[in-house]
Amino acid sequence: MGWIAVKTLVADRGKLATALVGLVFSLVLVNVQGGLFLGLLGKASLLVDRAGADIWVGHKAMHNVDFPHAIPSRWVARLRSLPGVQRAEPYTIGWATMTLPSGGFEPVVVVGSDPASLLGSAWNIREGSPGALRHNDGIVVDECDDHKLEHPAVGDLREIGGRKARVVAKSRGIVGFLISPYVFTTLDRAAEYLRLPHGVCSYYLVQVKPGFSVDEVSQAIRHRTPQLDVYARHEYARISIQFWMTRTGLGISFGAATLLGLAVGLVMVAQTLYASVLDRLGEFGTLKALGAEEWQVYQILFTQALALAGGGSLIGLVAVAAIRHWFHSYRAPIVIPLWLSLGSCLLLLAIALVSSLLPYLRVRRLDPVMVLQG
Amino acid sequence: MKANLPPVAVHNVHKTYRRGGIATPVLQGVNLVVGHGRCAVLTGPSGSGKSTLLSILGTMLSPDQGSVRIAGHDLGRLDAAARTRLRRELIGFVFQRFELLRGLSALDNVAVPLALRRMPQRAAQKRAAEALAAVGLADKLHSHPRHLSAGQCQRVALARALAGEPELILADEPTASLDEQHGLELMGLLRRLTAEQGRTAVIVTHDPRILRFADVVYRLAHGRLETAERPRASLISAAEEVLT
Repeated sequence: MGWIAVKTLVADRGKLATALVGLVFSLVLVNVQGGLFLGLLGKASLLVDRAGADIWVGHKAMHNVDFPHAIPSRWVARLRSLPGVQRAEPYTIGWATMTLPSGGFEPVVVVGSDPASLLGSAWNIREGSPGALRHNDGIVVDECDDHKLEHPAVGDLREIGGRKARVVAKSRGIVGFLISPYVFTTLDRAAEYLRLPHGVCSYYLVQVKPGFSVDEVSQAIRHRTPQLDVYARHEYARISIQFWMTRTGLGISFGAATLLGLAVGLVMVAQTLYASVLDRLGEFGTLKALGAEEWQVYQILFTQALALAGGGSLIGLVAVAAIRHWFHSYRAPIVIPLWLSLGSCLLLLAIALVSSLLPYLRVRRLDPVMVLQG
Repeated sequence: MKANLPPVAVHNVHKTYRRGGIATPVLQGVNLVVGHGRCAVLTGPSGSGKSTLLSILGTMLSPDQGSVRIAGHDLGRLDAAARTRLRRELIGFVFQRFELLRGLSALDNVAVPLALRRMPQRAAQKRAAEALAAVGLADKLHSHPRHLSAGQCQRVALARALAGEPELILADEPTASLDEQHGLELMGLLRRLTAEQGRTAVIVTHDPRILRFADVVYRLAHGRLETAERPRASLISAAEEVLT
């Protein structure tokens, strides 16, 4: 029966194209909207994901990596003495203003890391050397912020918080959730730029010794420093993402747009399948007159829905790949994991199957005797 | 088929339609027996109940009263699913307006009833090709209905009815959409193939030109059947005459 379904579906090219457009539209919308959403979420936890720390320790009620509260730097020694801690370093994040050559200024997020280990410093360096941060006044900026920072080259000078800053290296793709550029430097210099009081930092970044579990070490740190919050990397990433999700309504707006796309796809496919069946009602009557059973009739509609979903998924995924290829950037990353693509294909299948039920209900009421009695 | 039982046996069948509270009796005590290999033609004025009787024989409609046996199966004892199965397995249909599936080629159209019997596609198409060759359309296997003439479409429909080797062929005004020449050709073909294969046929028609192909002609009037037998020799010669 499958071949009958497919051949009759393909024969009506106009309706086939309309249904496919609906399905492809749905799939592209789900993937691109979802991909942009995930890309944005990834930016919200970028530092946490890429700093190289297994555990983040910070002020009580810390809720977003970019908005920390100061904690005493000296407490880091309590962590270093714990079994299971391979390395624990203070880490500073704060807001300052960079003065630009034109006389303008730009708010920046200053990130200061330990000069010896450079734990949590810039990655994906394209020009200069990350080790050059140890030189006087050294900072690392990102290529993606060139326009905002008036195209600084390696060796160029800027001013942050009234202090001199020299670009010693440039990274590519370190673009946070906020519009302000990240500027990486050392702990002491960050404290200067941020005009922090002596002996404070934002976090302790902890790396766990091989053979120890992150949970176990986290528990030990909590026990040792009960005044502080302690989170495994993935936990703090989730908390940072949650901050933006709940405070901005981001999830709702992306979700609403995606649902709208799905609804449009559903309506288009349902309407097309229904119209196609209405157009061929007589043929379904003929099939019943020739002895088709109810399940065989549904099998035809089901197979057509399946074929539409398959074709729509295939074309849609190609379109998504093309859109991602042309529009993905560090500033607006489109992150499409396999589960999103597979999930959207399954969603498409569900749309197609639901859409096939409506015409089936119409065909089910069809009396084959209509073929003989006009 | 149950041994020695006639393919069609109708006894005292009544059927009344009710619309808007008004009862219109269509069949009133119809009796009909068509033996193996016989070709019966039902004729009569519009509204005389020909299509209703054909629908009952085709298991698509149930009588209000009386019994109907198709190839020995008492339809009154069968549920809807069993009647559908019987229709699929034992009956071949030729409809007035061909009722071919537009999206399918002639070959695929003829293969449809075989596919409904769950025959694999390749085997169904092989048998469909043979059926199309038998009706003289071996060169039109891959043509779609829109590219075929009315006469060719009706021959495809005839091939579809015969491909499943049914016990009974039911034809509803098979020549109504055809001109005289094509109508006679189709009837000649239908008569020859049913005779060769030993099939029984019941044909409903208004067309007096095709009465000569019948073994027996029944006239329906006021819901009752009147019989007019014809000698077999004359119809065989009629078929040969048209086909030559």
